[in-house]
Amino acid sequence: MSAPSVLAACGSAVQQIIAEPIAATTSSLSPFTDVFGVDEAMIRGALAELTSRGADQAELYFQSSRSTSILYQDGIISRATGSVDLGVGLRCVVGEQTGYAYTEELTSESMRRAARTAAAIAHGSGRAAPQEIRHAAFDHQRYSVEVPWRDVGVAQKLPIIQRAAALARAADPAIVKVDISWADAESRVLIADMHGRMTFDDRPMTRMFVTLTAERNGERQSNRANIAARQGIEFYSEANLRRVVQQAVDRTLVLFDARRPPAGEMPVVLAAGASGILLHEAVGHGMEADFNRKQISIYADMMGRQVAEPLVTIVDDGTLEHQRGALNVDDEGSPAERTVLVERGRLVSFMHDGISSRHYGVQATGSGRRQNFRHAPLPRMRCTYMEDGPHTRDEIIASVQNGILAETFTNGQVQIGAGDYTFYIKNGWLIEDGRLTAPIKDVNIIGTGPETLRRISMVADDGRLDTGGWTCGKRGQSVPVSIGMPTVLVRELTVGGEDTGGGRAS
Amino acid sequence: MLRELRERAEAAIAMARAAGADDVFASATRSRGVEVQVRDHEIEKLQESTGRGLAIRLYVDGRYATFRTSDLRAEPLGAFVRDAVSMTRALERDPFRVIPDPALYEGRTDASLDLVDEAVLALDTDTRIAWCREIAERCAHEQLISATATVKDTHSLVASASSNGFSGHHLRTSHWRGGSVTLREEGDARPAGAYRAGARHLEDIPSATEVGVRSLAEAVRRLGATQGPTRRTTMVVDRRASGRLVSLLLAPAKASAISQRRSFWAERVGEQVLSERLEIVDDPLIVRGLGSRYYDGEGIAARRLPIVAEGALQNLFVDTYYGRKIEREPTTGTTSNVVITPGARDLEAISADLDEAYLVTSWLGGNSDATTGDFSLGLRGHLITGGAVAGPVQEMNITGNLVELFAGLVEVGNDPWTYSSLRAPTLVFEGVQFSGA
Repeated sequence: MSAPSVLAACGSAVQQIIAEPIAATTSSLSPFTDVFGVDEAMIRGALAELTSRGADQAELYFQSSRSTSILYQDGIISRATGSVDLGVGLRCVVGEQTGYAYTEELTSESMRRAARTAAAIAHGSGRAAPQEIRHAAFDHQRYSVEVPWRDVGVAQKLPIIQRAAALARAADPAIVKVDISWADAESRVLIADMHGRMTFDDRPMTRMFVTLTAERNGERQSNRANIAARQGIEFYSEANLRRVVQQAVDRTLVLFDARRPPAGEMPVVLAAGASGILLHEAVGHGMEADFNRKQISIYADMMGRQVAEPLVTIVDDGTLEHQRGALNVDDEGSPAERTVLVERGRLVSFMHDGISSRHYGVQATGSGRRQNFRHAPLPRMRCTYMEDGPHTRDEIIASVQNGILAETFTNGQVQIGAGDYTFYIKNGWLIEDGRLTAPIKDVNIIGTGPETLRRISMVADDGRLDTGGWTCGKRGQSVPVSIGMPTVLVRELTVGGEDTGGGRAS
Repeated sequence: MLRELRERAEAAIAMARAAGADDVFASATRSRGVEVQVRDHEIEKLQESTGRGLAIRLYVDGRYATFRTSDLRAEPLGAFVRDAVSMTRALERDPFRVIPDPALYEGRTDASLDLVDEAVLALDTDTRIAWCREIAERCAHEQLISATATVKDTHSLVASASSNGFSGHHLRTSHWRGGSVTLREEGDARPAGAYRAGARHLEDIPSATEVGVRSLAEAVRRLGATQGPTRRTTMVVDRRASGRLVSLLLAPAKASAISQRRSFWAERVGEQVLSERLEIVDDPLIVRGLGSRYYDGEGIAARRLPIVAEGALQNLFVDTYYGRKIEREPTTGTTSNVVITPGARDLEAISADLDEAYLVTSWLGGNSDATTGDFSLGLRGHLITGGAVAGPVQEMNITGNLVELFAGLVEVGNDPWTYSSLRAPTLVFEGVQFSGA
């Protein structure tokens, strides 16, 4: 997971009902199929080809996406980029085997050719193509926007970027460089599966980065902050702009006084919010079901076991409105849900896609995700967080004699089999005798997932989701995710600090 | 096909000019990729794809923007280009932004870099599956949980043109073979290892048999890993891991980073701050090199560029735009093949002389601050004791400053890793802070 929004309480999503009724007639498909210039006959033709040698699961994944990014640098809006992407991915699954092809030419001939390529994985007898394609509407809309990004002109975006830049430039005389990086995007997907179920989802996304360089007494420091959400231009309220700018300013200026903590094992307090990166790396990836059905995850044999103290409950949730990791449906067309992974310390569920749910004989959890139509879906996280516990932040900090508090992060990684994981602390504090005494910076944390889970000994009542946007990488595919956490104490973790005394040279 | 791409790029230039662009640089691409995966005895995945795209860089009335699309239908494409020009016009005038000086397009090499292998283009699926099976068969082991073999190849064509006289194309193939192996041991941990190699030509890649043998060996050497003690000691970095350190060192050696004052190189260009043993060249002209090219992304003719020599950063990666901002002549804005000049001995000979050290074989996470050079990286590797590589270690970090680290570089190996555009050999550093148990 790399590079670090809307503040939202965990699990507080309000569901809306949209007016779209479940449709069963051909004519009602056209609002969706027109986006791609295809019709029901073309879809049925491609599905027939895709399942001509048999299939346990097969679908067409049409995607039309566009994105715009804009950079403010050295006092001006200095450049922009725009991108348009259109194509269809075709997948045929037999058992745990996947045949996949995609094409950017949405013609009958090109789609049938790609379908034949994907179908080559199968060697059985053909299935009958669906008699009709039915639009399966979902009864909730988790990221409605006032105006879709495709209808928002660049002229409406520039004043927002300039406002953020002005706030940053005025924040402190030490700030010498201000970069504001803006991105808005939308992805419209249409998923038509071999049972004739067709789902359509229109997914907005936006993100703003504030990157600063400051100089003081000949020393130079830089840092950044960002906010992200599945929202429209209304996301950029004055309050949100002030928040992200203030975060960037605080995180940069504190570096002038920051140092490295000592090296070695010590108690680590994880601050509420972005510390959810611990869950993502130490726990989440290892609980994605593809690694477990292949028996290559350290968690593969732990289902049903007590893996943490009863005060630990960990959730992966696709239902939180406007979150970067929110989904109406996953990329296989399954409803995205709230999946409890660890309930009061007991491992109760992995995250499933279609392949793994058939393997384990359980319901899919709506976790099948892909970067775009060029990739087959994999079980992935959405918004991963820990539920509140009985302690308070003050209690937790006061309990630590010598340790650190981790506040902001840049990235992390995990080794699924051995279970060792890391995350990089950009900002934090030294804790001495139960008090925060000095800022720290640039230290990597390393541990083993199940061991870290067992060492979580205190959980506070201040859980929140991080307001920054995160991107998760797995097998060459990036997907947006969210993370959240209450303040937590891990009794002991290995901190990549610098030995301040007694270090031996060889 | 190449002609079609060239015409598409030129048509895009004409369309953008008609819509009011002053200058345009356009690239049309076509790519084909095939990936085959075998897990244990079954085919896990067969993937085949063809992609296409058009990218344009627009200079409109002193303003600048870049665009790309994969929707090449005539009507949407026309609208796309018109929208792109009008969006560019809505930005702010930037006095530093100009299309590259056409003089920089001159002097492109006449020699062939041999970047296409007809044998890759002629591969069929059954051959790829057979190679995967061969890799997987070499991974048999009594503690084996799962072995996945992957064979993957790509063929890409890019044709570019500009409104001020640039014209060029790149045709490339690549082929990759790899295996990843997970083993069972006491407890819940499942040690895993992987080996992967790739090149532009089939004959430059180890056989499927060798890839399989090495993949298994990588997993077997992870059995029984423990956390090593916290100490400051010598660090030997395997050639497959040393490239990451070099790329962290060079990431801020760019005009863009200097201009934004986010580079620890800012006041140090030309100063002797690194070990004199380090010599780095950016060499785009290596025959069959994974990073080889005739011209860079701006169209600048490719040339060898000395980066580090005599312990000092000699040149920056400078593109046209940031070069104007920091008043330096453009070199190239992006790396091609980054080559570390090899030393005299290999990893085994180097280890034989070390009484106590850590050998790093791979990194796990970690990061560095480009403004200060402060870094902290997670790692896995081995202890070296009494001149021999001993048991595996994990759950450790190194922490320090990149400039100080490379000042402490005491030896460069003779064994560069060639299956990468970053050709780094074994590197040995003294006095590195490790944290562990």
